[in-house]
Amino acid sequence: MKRLLALVLTMVLSPSVMARDSFQICWSIYVGWMPWAYADQQGIVDKWAKKYGIEIDVVQINDYVESINQYTAGQFDACTMTNMDALTIPAAGGVDSTALIVGDYSNGNDGIVLKGTSNLADIKGQSVNLVELSVSHYLLARALETVGMSEADVQVVNTSDADMVAVYSTDDVSAVVTWNPLLSEIAAMPDSHVVYDSASTPGEIIDMLVINTETLAEYPALGKALVGAWYETMALMSGNDAAAVEARTFLGEASGTDLEGYEAQLASTQMFYTPAEALALTESKVVLETMEKVAEFSFDHGLLGDGAPDAGFIGIETPAGTFGSSANVKLRFDPTYMKMAAEGQL
Amino acid sequence: MIEIDRVWKSYGDNTVLEDISLTVKEGEFVTMVGASGCGKSTFLNLLLGTQTVSRGELRLDGKPIVAEPGPDRGIVFQQYSVFPHMTVLDNVMAAPALAQKGITGHLFGAARASAKREAEAMLERVGLVASAQQYPSSLSGGMRQRLAIAQALTAKPRILLLDEPFGALDPGIRNDMHVLLRDLWRSLGLTVFMVTHDLKEGFSLGSRLWVFDKRRHDPHAPNAYGAQVTYDLPLSKMSEESYMQTLQGLGSSSLLN
Amino acid sequence: MERWINKRPSRAVSGMLGLIPLIILLLLYMAGSEARLAENPADKLLPSFEQFSQAIERMAFEPSKRTGEYLFWVDTQSSLIRLGLGVGIASLLGLVVGVLTGALPVVRALFNPLLTVVSLIPPLAILPILFIVLGLGELSKVVLITIGVMPFIARDIQRRTQEIPSEQIIKAQTLGANTSQILLRIILPQIMPRLIDATRLSLGAAWLFLIAAEAIVSTDGLGYRIFLVRRYLAMDVILPYVAWITLLAFLSDWVLAKISYLCFPWDRLDGAER
Repeated sequence: MKRLLALVLTMVLSPSVMARDSFQICWSIYVGWMPWAYADQQGIVDKWAKKYGIEIDVVQINDYVESINQYTAGQFDACTMTNMDALTIPAAGGVDSTALIVGDYSNGNDGIVLKGTSNLADIKGQSVNLVELSVSHYLLARALETVGMSEADVQVVNTSDADMVAVYSTDDVSAVVTWNPLLSEIAAMPDSHVVYDSASTPGEIIDMLVINTETLAEYPALGKALVGAWYETMALMSGNDAAAVEARTFLGEASGTDLEGYEAQLASTQMFYTPAEALALTESKVVLETMEKVAEFSFDHGLLGDGAPDAGFIGIETPAGTFGSSANVKLRFDPTYMKMAAEGQL
Repeated sequence: MIEIDRVWKSYGDNTVLEDISLTVKEGEFVTMVGASGCGKSTFLNLLLGTQTVSRGELRLDGKPIVAEPGPDRGIVFQQYSVFPHMTVLDNVMAAPALAQKGITGHLFGAARASAKREAEAMLERVGLVASAQQYPSSLSGGMRQRLAIAQALTAKPRILLLDEPFGALDPGIRNDMHVLLRDLWRSLGLTVFMVTHDLKEGFSLGSRLWVFDKRRHDPHAPNAYGAQVTYDLPLSKMSEESYMQTLQGLGSSSLLN
Repeated sequence: MERWINKRPSRAVSGMLGLIPLIILLLLYMAGSEARLAENPADKLLPSFEQFSQAIERMAFEPSKRTGEYLFWVDTQSSLIRLGLGVGIASLLGLVVGVLTGALPVVRALFNPLLTVVSLIPPLAILPILFIVLGLGELSKVVLITIGVMPFIARDIQRRTQEIPSEQIIKAQTLGANTSQILLRIILPQIMPRLIDATRLSLGAAWLFLIAAEAIVSTDGLGYRIFLVRRYLAMDVILPYVAWITLLAFLSDWVLAKISYLCFPWDRLDGAER
């Protein structure tokens, strides 16, 4: 009886173990992931899927954390997320995950805003509103290091991103850490100063498409189709020709702003329009060093689970070397498919 | 004591009571009977002050009756006459407590002690001493009406109004209540008005019987004419025999059902 | 007694029948958890009961590494204070507004349209306004709960007040009572058990508003913790917290029911007349 139950549940709760040709990926609204909307709407994903004889369903999920949770639970084969969340949610949850596409890094898209001062050091003793355990939290920790402080010097107040702008306009709040488009909206308020932003930590907050490692190994066609579709979209939307402007207008509107607003967000985002640029970061020491910092931050905040004795409990494999336990590698930066794209083999 | 002077009561086109003029002396016990919807309860409500006359005047000791319930007129309804959240004793003590001026309606100290003695004497009189600490919901229907009467009388009203007070009781209990009520009426010298749909009760209990009925009927406009007091019978001098004759006469006239 | 509609289980059988769905759910969960953990020992979606007990141990009985506090109890205390204040104030306001509008037609005419409008405002929609007006501290959370449940309680109490038989109000007047005496001695005591009923019914909504407020901006609380650890899918913490909230909700309901039973003996006797 119990076995039968287990069997039924396994079938219901985990992705089918049988060979298959249809896949689902999910994404949520963010400047660096918006191109998936265009790729889906213009049929670019379908075209590439057809080329490799599979089907790919692209699903937009409004809640970012929920989309990662769904991916971790096995409902999706791939999902957009940052490097930090890839480590703390799926990888820490034992789901071996691979960064298939390194799409961009935040180059000013995340920042710290203070009221009434432009000096970061004045943050000492203040309450800081941010989404706890997110990249904002990480950025705060990195910023505090630069002025010789630690998190103990401030009081972190968990605040929903949806309400960040409303919260900032109250008198109680004097410091926030957030991301675009909220960041630019808050920075534009009177007497508000961006005292630190992710341009000071280039390449540390990376936006990626993360795919289940097992699924990728079993179905390389999925990886090829996704990477192919992505770089075709990149080529389409970059540049200044009419088609590119039209694509960016579409993306601006899809993300709730307009062409101008979207381009302003792109300006603080280091997009990798070509696979070569993405490879340059992926294969560099920067990713390895960044992931070490992220792992240490995550360990300090208990994000790697109770079983983790140290920050290296979960192995992170990058082209420049592996951080932490090589016996327990759960997060991989795999340049194989981006290389294929760079060499025109897709 | 009470003068009813050309009293009319109507709601829009619907005339309920029509041109009633009567006088009631102190100490009389008037029972009021009539078909349902004949206006006897409306008349009681005019005396109570929850409704006002449309024309004419109701006078108590020569002064118009205040159109708001007050402590000079006590009332016992068929149900909901006692306060469910108070014990039997508290229900009776509520009369002096609510009669004093104040905000909370609670008694303290010596006033409370004397109110308690008075209430206990009243409960003794209506036979509820053993139930003094019970709540109304655990009393029988008859006990509850005893309590309602005791509560009303503790306020020492000049007039006691009874709106079908025993209508929901079993016949045996009803007889006990008649004995109690008649005893209280005689010993306290009350003026009583009682609405009943029980003709026998109406004849046997009071000193004066009023029958409410319409003298004029218009089949096309049944509400055009109101009821009047068609019979005004003194009861105390009636023999049992003539009482039975009258009863039969009224019963066969299909006036009362 | 052939038809199903006539079959009645005995007390013992009834109790056992009630357990069956719970046991099936539990077994389903255990089997599912075991299957997922067999496939991936680090799976976080359906933790084992051992993982639950470890999480509870860590949250409730070991001081937090970062702050030295017992997080579980700190969260519980903060949430219960907010909930108690919010519901308490809402009950008190609801009682005053409900009794006055129910008993006095003039006050009803004056305030009923406002009460109707207020009760139709979705409280969560005005939360940003509350934050701006009242700040981000405890006050705005308590006020959210109060605004969320007060109109319901007020309208319920208003209806209950109007349901008190008019005979009683007339009777009180014939005993010489003035308006304030009628309000305080006749209506208020009879409304108290109804107030407890209304409060019990509004507890579910109050928890909802509490958790919503804590999810948006907070540094502690049961809702805060759930939404925080949701960020890394820590179901081993979330599910015990959910169970704890359920237990707290059940206990607060039970305590209110008990208070009503003990304090209002006249209300529990099943009389024909009230």
